[in-house]
Amino acid sequence: MKKYAFLPAVLLLWCVSLSSARAEPVKCFESRKGASEVTQRMIGENLPNVKCSPKTGAVLWWGDPLDGTVPMGDMPVADADYNRGKAVVKPRTDKVGLLPLCGNTCHTGVLPSGFPQNKDTRQLVMMHQAIVLDATKLPHGRGSIWCLDCHHSTKRNKLVDHRDNPISFDQPQLLCGKCHGEVYRDWREGIHGKRIGEWASTGTKRWFVCTECHNPHNVQHGERNRGIAQHQPENAPALPKGMKTADHERRQHGAAKH
Amino acid sequence: MHVTNKEKICNQQSPAEGCACSGQAPGAAPADNVSSRRNFLKSAGMLSVNSLLGTAALMTMSDDARANMDWAEWFQGNYRLMSDEEKALARARLERRYSREYGKAVTVDGTPAQEGVLMGYALNIKKCIGCRRCAKACVEENNQSRGKDQEIEWIRVLKMEKGEFSKEKMNQGYPEGLGIQVGGNAYSPAGVVLEGEHYYQPEAVPEKGSVYMPIACMQCEKPPCVKVCPVRTTYREADGPVVIDYNWCIGCRMCMSACPYWARRFNWSDPKLPKEAMNPVTHYLGNRPRMKGVVEKCTFCIQRTRKGRYPACVEVCPVGARKFGNLLDPNSEVSRIIERKQVFRLKAELNTYPKFFYFMD
Repeated sequence: MKKYAFLPAVLLLWCVSLSSARAEPVKCFESRKGASEVTQRMIGENLPNVKCSPKTGAVLWWGDPLDGTVPMGDMPVADADYNRGKAVVKPRTDKVGLLPLCGNTCHTGVLPSGFPQNKDTRQLVMMHQAIVLDATKLPHGRGSIWCLDCHHSTKRNKLVDHRDNPISFDQPQLLCGKCHGEVYRDWREGIHGKRIGEWASTGTKRWFVCTECHNPHNVQHGERNRGIAQHQPENAPALPKGMKTADHERRQHGAAKH
Repeated sequence: MHVTNKEKICNQQSPAEGCACSGQAPGAAPADNVSSRRNFLKSAGMLSVNSLLGTAALMTMSDDARANMDWAEWFQGNYRLMSDEEKALARARLERRYSREYGKAVTVDGTPAQEGVLMGYALNIKKCIGCRRCAKACVEENNQSRGKDQEIEWIRVLKMEKGEFSKEKMNQGYPEGLGIQVGGNAYSPAGVVLEGEHYYQPEAVPEKGSVYMPIACMQCEKPPCVKVCPVRTTYREADGPVVIDYNWCIGCRMCMSACPYWARRFNWSDPKLPKEAMNPVTHYLGNRPRMKGVVEKCTFCIQRTRKGRYPACVEVCPVGARKFGNLLDPNSEVSRIIERKQVFRLKAELNTYPKFFYFMD
């Protein structure tokens, strides 16, 4: 009898763990980890807003591609795609909600006294080391640019263009296009980058902006020198029936002896 | 046993000759005992209909998709040759069956090809990182069979070595020691070749020194699979995609051997599609659940693209390597790419004229 006494306790524990697992909302990332995240929920009968990969946590499928988007805003190019169709983006400004506070304390342009306003490269003291370890050797631009080349010196919840005009965090392409003109041109024609929604050139599309795919502080991703960070891949397809391993395809070129 | 002469004679004679041996007058048989050809066919027909109806009634109790098919679905014609009314009826039948099987409201769409549209696809071979999200998104969208018993993916992503010519390999040839020198750098990959790994599984992609080549149906303008289909169940739609009427497919797999791009998959067993994971928005020629013994393949997500939405693989690609649009629209992404970028089509020498373009920045 004794050995069955723990059974109800185990069952109870199992039920508790099951209910707590159910209550946990599933969060997935859209393009790259650390950028736009989305919480799984139902937006209709049998219609989830996203389906996520159980392996990597990446979004695999959008129920509504325009869910939670806002209009992208005006673009200063007459012949671009986004002027023909309707362009929307997922707002990123709420992710940087603390920035107004920063603008009132350290980055007012006045306080603290002696706070340098120019773009000269200098070491960051006490702040922001989590984002940029060594500000004198910023990976993006290989040391030739510094924080205030992209961030507005006083309006900290804005980016900045060449003429010190503020740019919204929702439109980083206006900033990135300053140097990467060729990529910017391809992007606004729909050749570079990612869009979801309607495929017609006159359709409504959600545009993925630069920073949703690229890490702006480390675009090259270290020595790899590629714009895209490495991702965990999804599972390999199933082996054909009867095949135990995939060693047959792993041999080196020219190594096989017939 | 004693047999009289009279009986012997009677057994040899026909009743019509007036022998009264059986005690029955010739020609006096009751009317219902007359075995005419008409009566025989009538009763035989009734018997077979009754037995088949009984079988059908038994079969409809089953969970098996084939058993759940009703009469009209078994005997429907080739979808392409049906009238609009017949097509609508066929779709309504399927909606009923799928809704019953998967426990939710399933729609089977029949939107025909749109005028002025020729669907085209472009893939940036330089951008692909080999993460396989496209292959998995395709499965989520298109109701393929999944699980250990039978896993079907329409997109295959090949990992290939980056090619190089190097001084160190100048003396390398094959085979060695036999006095046959193929040449310096022989068997060293140069550029993209169709020889790669399907089952790579590193911690992170892209790997150093590797390039990735996703392949799916190329939606050829002159598709070899369509040429060989003996029942003409696979055909090219007016807006481009090559589609299959799964109900008319006989499972001969001629199209699979004809396809130079390894794009077609066969349901060797009953597809395993979990009810909760089933995508209820389907198209008759697209992602509706298939049955055992039929061929399937990419249709450019016909259920989405005919409604204006991007294919699932285009939307999921994390690096934006996949592009889709109308080849007849000069402002579409695909037209712009063909106009501006370096473009190639896979195995172009076969004159299949794919509408799937690979390009490079």
